[in-house]
Amino acid sequence: MKLVVKLVLAANLIVLAVLAFIYPHLMVSPGKLIPGHRELEADCFACHAPFTGAAAERCIACHKPAEIGRLTTTGQVVTQPLSVTPFHQKLSSQDCVACHSDHAGVKRFRQAGRFNHALLQRETRELCQDCHKSPNDSLHQQITGNCSQCHSLGKWTPATFDHNKYFVLDRDHNARCVTCHVRNDYSRYTCYGCHEHTLAGIRREHIEEGIRDFDNCVECHRSADEHDIKGRNGESRDKREGKRDRKKHDDD
Amino acid sequence: MANPSTTTSLWREHVLPFTLLLGLLAAATLAGDYLLHRLDLVWVGRYLGIPGTLLIIGSLVYSLRKRKIITAGNPKNLLTLHEIGTWLGSLMVLLHAGIHFNAILPWLATVAMGVNVISGMVGKLLLDRSRRHVQGQREHYQLRGLAKPEVERAVFWDAVTLDAMNQWRKVHIPIFIVFAVLSIGHIVSVFLFWGWL
Repeated sequence: MKLVVKLVLAANLIVLAVLAFIYPHLMVSPGKLIPGHRELEADCFACHAPFTGAAAERCIACHKPAEIGRLTTTGQVVTQPLSVTPFHQKLSSQDCVACHSDHAGVKRFRQAGRFNHALLQRETRELCQDCHKSPNDSLHQQITGNCSQCHSLGKWTPATFDHNKYFVLDRDHNARCVTCHVRNDYSRYTCYGCHEHTLAGIRREHIEEGIRDFDNCVECHRSADEHDIKGRNGESRDKREGKRDRKKHDDD
Repeated sequence: MANPSTTTSLWREHVLPFTLLLGLLAAATLAGDYLLHRLDLVWVGRYLGIPGTLLIIGSLVYSLRKRKIITAGNPKNLLTLHEIGTWLGSLMVLLHAGIHFNAILPWLATVAMGVNVISGMVGKLLLDRSRRHVQGQREHYQLRGLAKPEVERAVFWDAVTLDAMNQWRKVHIPIFIVFAVLSIGHIVSVFLFWGWL
């Protein structure tokens, strides 16, 4: 490489290095800061410690956990809080960057409004209704608390409730909830919401088999498989027939 | 007037493969970026810069071999590894950059990498031409009684040391230095501000 090329190259790179130190927010910052921190834009080390990133202690120096959601950093009362209940006081550890990203470029990698509930203290984790409103449907209006029985802390939908324990939703029953649970009332169901089953047809089939009590379909039918029929206690037909044969044998 | 068969051969042997390789890199970047967004795996792209950089650094073994700093390894295979490694590494770095404009330094590094990739492809094109040019010398070496692997090696080194290649290297090396320094600047700034420890 010619000496002139080397010199021009070195000069350009030195200029770039100097610019990185004078204008770090333009040269190396991963996007603009949030409006509240805009005045810190050229002062990277206001939040970052060398090689250890943005330390929670530096955040807490201005944002006192006891005041978050109640008072601003200047001591003013928060009139329009972002959450119904202040919860920063109930965090198990102060790990600010686990949820907050101040640079636009870093924020892009986080889903807006996502909060890791595992950061809450164990007892607070169970009090969902302190921050969340219960859905307005008839099922949820009957229930208070104990959300984790059907929902995970990661996502509200899909619910972790295992429908297959009650009835298997396979390709023959790939239906909308309201087809079986009319008006979203999950305390009841009907098997006559689609065109496949009719009360008259079901009655005829069951009477032929000598079955008169067929109101509660899922008591015996837990899937579309017509050979997988359970008894009232959840026993399969083969087992029931085995019991009946044994009884008959004992009677003889 | 240009000979039509020469024009066709130039198009088929040089311009088309060059355009295809470059187009494929652009298409793979756009497709990869789209897929990462579609599958909600944008965070994966964020870390692709690390294996991409390692691949590019690893592919520099060829440069060391060519300058005889290391003596092990078949130079022809190392060149193939250099071409594949830098192409794949660049793809990963492009996916890592995404189509987001945050700071000037990383973008200058990305642009320098792009210019470096194009320059590398021009070098590949020139090397292919040089190879054809020295192909005639193969018989000469064989007549001298050299064994086949030795002939292959002699032809390869003749091809890479032709004048056109030397001229190209004068451009490729400074471009690489700019790319390397800008990338190091970006990496140092990430190490400095990120919570690694």
